[in-house]
Amino acid sequence: MRHRLLLRCAMPLPPPQPPPTPRTPGVAGGRLFASLPLPPPLQSRSEVHVWYLLPDELNDASQLKMYMELLSPSERKTALSMNGEKLQKGAVLSRALVRTTLSRYTECKIDPRSFEFKKNKFGKPEILWQSDDVRMECPLHFNISHTSCLIACGITMGTPIGIDIEEKKRKTAKSILSLARRYFTPPEVDYLAKIPDPEAQQKEFIKLWTLKEAYVKALGRGFSGAPFNKFSIMLAAKNGIRISVDSNSSCDSLSENWQFALAELNSSHYMAACIEDDSRTSGSGNGQLSLGLKVWKTIPFVEDTLVSGTEAVKLIC
Amino acid sequence: MASIAGSALSFARPVKATSANSLSFSPARKGNAFLRMQPVPMRLAVSCAAQKDTVDKVCEIVRKQLALSDGTEVSGASKFAELGADSLDTVEIVMGLEEEFGISVEESSAQTIATVEDAAELIDKLVNEAK
Repeated sequence: MRHRLLLRCAMPLPPPQPPPTPRTPGVAGGRLFASLPLPPPLQSRSEVHVWYLLPDELNDASQLKMYMELLSPSERKTALSMNGEKLQKGAVLSRALVRTTLSRYTECKIDPRSFEFKKNKFGKPEILWQSDDVRMECPLHFNISHTSCLIACGITMGTPIGIDIEEKKRKTAKSILSLARRYFTPPEVDYLAKIPDPEAQQKEFIKLWTLKEAYVKALGRGFSGAPFNKFSIMLAAKNGIRISVDSNSSCDSLSENWQFALAELNSSHYMAACIEDDSRTSGSGNGQLSLGLKVWKTIPFVEDTLVSGTEAVKLIC
Repeated sequence: MASIAGSALSFARPVKATSANSLSFSPARKGNAFLRMQPVPMRLAVSCAAQKDTVDKVCEIVRKQLALSDGTEVSGASKFAELGADSLDTVEIVMGLEEEFGISVEESSAQTIATVEDAAELIDKLVNEAK
């Protein structure tokens, strides 16, 4: 069902803001959001909400300037140090997407500009909560992924999340099997080697890649902290997506209590999401508790479109 | 030394001074106008630990993998993140370097590599160890 809300761009832009003072509710950023309905809240720990935007749709200079003003000085500096206009725009939009998305889930009580971030020891960005923050009791987690034409931000409540997106048709310079042999596990290589059609093989590689990336990002360890050849992902229509950690591996920090979702996004991308699987650790389930996925396409402050349940989001597993 | 002068010269190219808040996204601008807004890192003028040949080969492999236009500058100080390399690009670049230099790079090393220069230094080290 398509649910479309259009906010006219004729709405006055906020006056230029002084350097953001923290934790002032109802400042311009919050006011801009106030007319948009709030997203449905995250109901449980197994819900994942994803908000994505398409950079090619966002070319209005004043709009981009407004997004730029949401960023912290260091984010601005980082964005401007990217090589070339397209990458700089992508960097600005990524941070604007994170900040505006997070703000929505605090019922706009926290202005997008107010969020502060830190990085864990592997470089994963996390929210730095202030002691008086309203959401400290139900901490939000987020993760971001982007390609040159799509930027996505995943949000959960109370569980770490990793998401990864990749263009379906992404061509690799190296052959699929040589990449798999170098970086994946033997069972994964076997799985790919059995696929006779090169295009189908390339697609399965990309699916596995995004799932593995989503896992290491959810863990917070990234590619170098959780080498891809230490765990296997298996895609099976009946059992969904399974992960198994190499028992001979010396990597104690890799765990198996994670659940996955894989979807085709916007007909152009594969998207993998990974969150912790409570049911397995508590022993109450058999890991079949499915991840609840909701997806919106957004132009922050302008338009939000719920796209899950439409052709724009096709669940694969 | 000519090689260091060569690297230093590439940073001396005049850069349009733009304040952080007045970024323009008009399509008419060339991407390179925004390069090098920070001061030249001093260490490049003083020491160059990796061999020039290695740095050049890494630049070539990176340029090819990321399909960078000729106008895009790639040098020792270039940061992979700033060039827009994602994780799949990075592993392909690493594979390309392994093949080119006959070495084996561990995943954990990737964490210490931020620039082309870092990669070249690691390569020289691994090449020497393999001898």
